Amino acid sequence: MTYMELQLGLALPNHAISVKGFDLNTYLYEPKDNITSNNPSWNTLGFVFLPTTTNNDAKKRSFDEAFHQVRSVPQTLPLLHWTNLPNDEDDDPKDLDSNSSFSTNKISEEDGVVGWPPIKNLRKIHRQQHHEGRQATAAKNNQTVENGFSMLVKVKMEGVAITRKIDLTLHDSFQSLNTTLTTMFGLFSIAGNQDSNSYKLTYLDKEGDWLIADEDVPWRTFIRTVQRLKLLKSSD
Amino acid sequence: MLKRMSYSSFPEDVLEHVFSFVQSDKDRNAISLVCKSWFEIERWCRRRIFVGNCYAVSPRMVIRRFPDVRSVELKGKPHFADFNLVPEGWGGHVYPWIYAMATGYPCLEEIRLKRMVVTDETLELIAKSFKNFKVLVLSSCEGFSTQGLAAIAANCRNLRELDLRESEVEDLSGNWLSHFPDTCTSLVALNIACLGSEVSFSALERLVGRSPNLRTLRLNRAVPLDKLANLLRRAPQLVELGTGAYSSDLRPEVLSNLAGAFSGCKELKGMSGFWDVVPAYLPAIYPVCSGLTSLNLSYASIQSPDLKLVSQCLNLQRLWVLDYIEDSGLEALAASCKDLQELRVFPSEPFGVEPNVSLTEQGLVCVSEGCPKLESVLYFCRRFSNDALVTIARNRPNMTRFRLCIIEPRTPDYLTHQPLDRGFGAIVEHCKDLRRLSLSGLLTDLVFEYIGTYAKKLEMLSVAFAGESDLGLHHVLSGCESLRKLEIRDCPFGDKALLANAAKLETMRSLWMSSCLVSLEACKLLGQKMPRLNVEVIDERGPLDSRPESFPVEKLYIYRSVAGPRFDMPGFVWNMDEDSALRLS
Repeated sequence: MTYMELQLGLALPNHAISVKGFDLNTYLYEPKDNITSNNPSWNTLGFVFLPTTTNNDAKKRSFDEAFHQVRSVPQTLPLLHWTNLPNDEDDDPKDLDSNSSFSTNKISEEDGVVGWPPIKNLRKIHRQQHHEGRQATAAKNNQTVENGFSMLVKVKMEGVAITRKIDLTLHDSFQSLNTTLTTMFGLFSIAGNQDSNSYKLTYLDKEGDWLIADEDVPWRTFIRTVQRLKLLKSSD
Repeated sequence: MLKRMSYSSFPEDVLEHVFSFVQSDKDRNAISLVCKSWFEIERWCRRRIFVGNCYAVSPRMVIRRFPDVRSVELKGKPHFADFNLVPEGWGGHVYPWIYAMATGYPCLEEIRLKRMVVTDETLELIAKSFKNFKVLVLSSCEGFSTQGLAAIAANCRNLRELDLRESEVEDLSGNWLSHFPDTCTSLVALNIACLGSEVSFSALERLVGRSPNLRTLRLNRAVPLDKLANLLRRAPQLVELGTGAYSSDLRPEVLSNLAGAFSGCKELKGMSGFWDVVPAYLPAIYPVCSGLTSLNLSYASIQSPDLKLVSQCLNLQRLWVLDYIEDSGLEALAASCKDLQELRVFPSEPFGVEPNVSLTEQGLVCVSEGCPKLESVLYFCRRFSNDALVTIARNRPNMTRFRLCIIEPRTPDYLTHQPLDRGFGAIVEHCKDLRRLSLSGLLTDLVFEYIGTYAKKLEMLSVAFAGESDLGLHHVLSGCESLRKLEIRDCPFGDKALLANAAKLETMRSLWMSSCLVSLEACKLLGQKMPRLNVEVIDERGPLDSRPESFPVEKLYIYRSVAGPRFDMPGFVWNMDEDSALRLS
């Protein structure tokens, strides 16, 4: 969409109006450059931007006609004059009709959309802990460190924006930890293989070093020192 | 000190005294606009400030204008950060503020932060900079560890409140609590509910024991139930209690011991916690139920029959609960809790496809009928109808906050298969004082016409998966006079509505739009023409110039600022000011 400048009689709001509601009344931000120097018509005449593709505007209903009621709406400074409705097909290259058009940040979370339903992270973690806790209780007598507290560490996977958390007290070996991580991130396997889909598990220890977490490290040592986990592509 | 002159008929000291009774920020702002001398007097005696967006003003400006502030409240990231929509590393660092205030406000006593990044270094700076520091509230903050908390505990000798709310704290050791010196007896509130690991229990017990003024104690899940009775006996004066894990091997003496301890807590008004609750232990709190005004069971996975406990809390004003309460539980609530003002019902299985509980619109309709004081609602469920919304609106015209989340996006009225426009329209039409609204379900542009027409006091609106065209957004921006915060995700709103209402954005605190249809070109135009707006494009897909200008941006955050562009933008955030616009084109 390209814009063309027209000159209509809409004035720039004065300071007092636009500052209304600010907590600070004096220290107004001064624009770096005087706007008028860039655009002489701005201050004196105001301006309106219209899409260049207005060939069939005349045939379309106006805002008021379309909504059969004339309302007085507060006049706000437009950078674009509100004209015909709904969106012109010809100046909107994006396809609106399918859900897939809004797919820019659809990273699978659980089985849905990031941030939906809108539930805070902590709440999700507790829910997860609760489920895991129940599972652990169900599988009684397995000698894990099930003494009522949890040990949450962050897990990040290379190439995945979301950081997850995992409760290490629910695990007693790298094998069970890897199984959980595999499910959590939907992986094929962790560590070892030449398979390009394979990831290796690394951890941050108390000294701040990243180390490989595998069977060479005693589980107890690992538990005492681990601060964070990261899954790296094996090929790296 | 500045030499001050007063031209009003009152002596300055008298005015200053009068002003000290005016508490609200809005009124203080009004005072400062009366005349130059009032402005001067007011700014010298302003003791608390609230900054709703830490990038809207610089700390230097605030300190210059208000030289003697004792209490600061700051907010950082956009609200949608709560739901992972703001990438990690976006910003919201509090360090520059603390650094400036360390010299600017040596007498600072209170810091309240929300959604900010707080490092251990920052906490250490707080601990050593403010000699009479009393209150630290970190709400949904991140970036620090128990090491930073240890510095606060060790150095803030007059600490009254340490409240970690829903912060994400890196747990290095539970030992930090023992850093509170034995001389520290001033605690009024301690909230450590968000901590993951076990705290040193003996240190906790001693701290509670030597804090005669302790009113609020919120424990974390790691504090076992059998320790709770001991704590309560040491602090029978508690007004708010968050329990730890509310489970233990069933032993009769634990229950009787706990019941005894609770019956000694005559002041108790609020309860939360109840992690891993075992229903058999709930009778222990029966002695305090009638006194409770606030109950948070939203971490308590207990089924409907055991939730009859709620109906025993006859004076309840606020209830947070999981959807296990079901329609039947809400019906009982409506019949017994006549003072209820706030209800939040959270989903127990938000990601499940099929409903796991019998919670429908009926539950909320019942509460709206039975509880005349109900004014704040957050309700997650799986189906709704226009008729139910209309009934709720008619029942509760006093509603000020209404947030409905129908879990599956774009769900129509389950009875008529129509959009829910008419229902939400009724909410905004009848609830004249509505300040906060969250929409969900199938919605066309019509609902936004209703909102723009009726919601004149609406301050915050959240929209997801709704609307059909720019007209929807145009109605909201041109109609909602009081709107301060607008957050939109996955809606077909684009350039026209935004540009046609450019100046409206200067009257608002912020606008968030993600997965909408605003083009980079429009963002640049806004940024260039509106110098008092910071127009930030957030795009993790790489440099902006790799895509056509007409392409929709991933995420857009626009806020007014008197400080100009911020200095701490990570690589995936671009400010659309004139310079960057030139660079990009």
